[in-house]
Amino acid sequence: MRAQFRSRIRLILSLIVCAAFFILLRLYFIQVVQGHEYVQKADRQFASGGNGVFDRGSIYVVRKDGALISAAALSTGFLVAINPQTLTDPEAAYAAIAVVASSTLLSHDAFLAVTTKKNQVYIEVAHRLTDEDGRALAARAISGVHVLHENWRYYPGGSLAAQSIGIVSYGSGDVLAGQTGLEAKYDGTLSRSGDLLYKNFFAELFSNVGNLLVNAKDAREGNIETTIEPEIQTRLENDLAKVNERYSSKESGGIIMDPSTGAIVALASYPFYNENDLQNVDPTLFGNPLVEHVYEFGSIMKPITMTSALDAGVITPETTYTDTGCITVDTKSICNWDSKARGVIPMQQIIVQSLNVGASWIATRLGQDTFREYFTRLFGQKTGIDLPNEGHALLGNLSKPQQVGYDTAAFGQGIAITPIQMIRALGAIANGGMMVQPHLVSAVRLDSGIVRKLDWSKKTPVFSATAARETTQMMTALVDQKLEGGKAMIPTMSVAAKTGTAQLIDGHGGYFSDHFFHSFVGFFPSYNPRFIILLYTNDPQHVEYASETLDTTFLGLVHFLIDYYQIPPDRGFATTTPA
Amino acid sequence: MRNKRFNFSFSLLPFCSGIVAILLVSYIGLIAVVMSYAALTVEFSQSVRNDESKVATLESEYLASVARTANTNYATAGYAKPLTKLFVRVQSATALR
Repeated sequence: MRAQFRSRIRLILSLIVCAAFFILLRLYFIQVVQGHEYVQKADRQFASGGNGVFDRGSIYVVRKDGALISAAALSTGFLVAINPQTLTDPEAAYAAIAVVASSTLLSHDAFLAVTTKKNQVYIEVAHRLTDEDGRALAARAISGVHVLHENWRYYPGGSLAAQSIGIVSYGSGDVLAGQTGLEAKYDGTLSRSGDLLYKNFFAELFSNVGNLLVNAKDAREGNIETTIEPEIQTRLENDLAKVNERYSSKESGGIIMDPSTGAIVALASYPFYNENDLQNVDPTLFGNPLVEHVYEFGSIMKPITMTSALDAGVITPETTYTDTGCITVDTKSICNWDSKARGVIPMQQIIVQSLNVGASWIATRLGQDTFREYFTRLFGQKTGIDLPNEGHALLGNLSKPQQVGYDTAAFGQGIAITPIQMIRALGAIANGGMMVQPHLVSAVRLDSGIVRKLDWSKKTPVFSATAARETTQMMTALVDQKLEGGKAMIPTMSVAAKTGTAQLIDGHGGYFSDHFFHSFVGFFPSYNPRFIILLYTNDPQHVEYASETLDTTFLGLVHFLIDYYQIPPDRGFATTTPA
Repeated sequence: MRNKRFNFSFSLLPFCSGIVAILLVSYIGLIAVVMSYAALTVEFSQSVRNDESKVATLESEYLASVARTANTNYATAGYAKPLTKLFVRVQSATALR
């Protein structure tokens, strides 16, 4: 028994000795025979690991058929680094690198300068080499030249939805992070921690066993799915660029939103910038005027004033007033756009003919407290859109006792609102009286495989459905009777709209008489709308009214959306009209 | 009755040495496995990223073609606006408003 045990022990020990000998032999080959090669490889891995290969989640736009298209992704390639301590022939190295990386390589003099820094072992000299170029350079195995994998942020759409998607940069720190747009807002989801692959298994086992079983990052890191539809976004951007160029405006913007859910299918502000080439971009363009800037929108505020008064019960659609063309309030003169009197007219004409005197009359009927209450409910809070740096509305005139502040606010002057607040408030007319939460991201696709839908269902009631419907009827009448002299009417589709022309402030407490802000809002089908569209152009030249600058763009978008989504008719005139 | 006594003795030193050797080899083996796993994971991860990058290039071409289509001036391409538009009567009376 004892002898048998001893023999077994000896057998086991001899096996262990053999294994140990094999390991020693292997170590000899690794450290001595192939030592130089492994030293170089370790040098590269040390350099690469220290730098960290950039990784980040994707941002998708979603086509109408549900297909995901990357709006922000990663591009892969190689970077070139040198080790001045082992670089033997800088001129030859420069020539070899220049063949494959001429655009991003340091200048010849700068390259030679860095090769003299013999106290350093890693200096990056060229970036963003293609796969083929990187492998070709690596195959040359130039001493002191390392070719390493590199990832960088790439935006397949270039300028597509640039202000919404945002950018990634170093900012004030030394880590690449989202700085604007969705890149910043969802940075926690999109960013990736770089320690995942190199962590010490045993250290994790003893110190952080929980993370080995359930990885907390899986519940946080992922890709994001937006509500932006790429073809509509492209169309909107194209249209805004045309308007801006035609009228030499300072800027133009637009939002297309589903008024029942708050899902934004397109959001654009011209001028755009190419997200893949940020070197010469004016930094002011990185912001998003549609959520950060405030504007006096002009007459597209009238439907809101009208709905507030209808909801409060101080007027009905049949109520009449005497329009005198001009009135004086607190020593200030308020006039219709043409200064002409209309006599005794019903409420609908205030919307159809866009009468400032009528809007002021409604404001007076509402009373200051009620007016302030409605407008504070509509514009007093941020919308909560998932974009950074959302601006506040400027409603200072509504906290003063002067009636003129309320009268001018009734037709969109004297108070300044962000475009996103404006479309949310107007959307409440479109959807029967509820303010929705505008949003750009519908879901987060976690790396664990779970798709987490975001909850944007919170709605705030502001108007009665009856008041909203009555205003919608007035806005529909405007399109059918007034817009382009009635030619804009679509026989089989009801469209509700309102134009707005506001005077721009001159910076000295007054307004320019020849500089305007044009806006246009509309939704369709009027009584069960699929889309609400808000457009504006700031300071267009040699043109006075929004009906001249934006109606063609608006109607073009309406027809495009009807065709693109095959929206069925909602009314039944079968007819033939001039195109 | 003979007193049966378990007469088994062994030296502690070889036993412990054996255990230590086994643990050492296991440890080195596990480190090798973990490092291989890490290296393969990096390789696969980069491979996935490379494929995603190629897809992004294709998506870029798609979006460029969408932009090109949206920007096309059909009049200069030889197309003319229709003289009239025929609007189809809505079929369901309940949809009328």
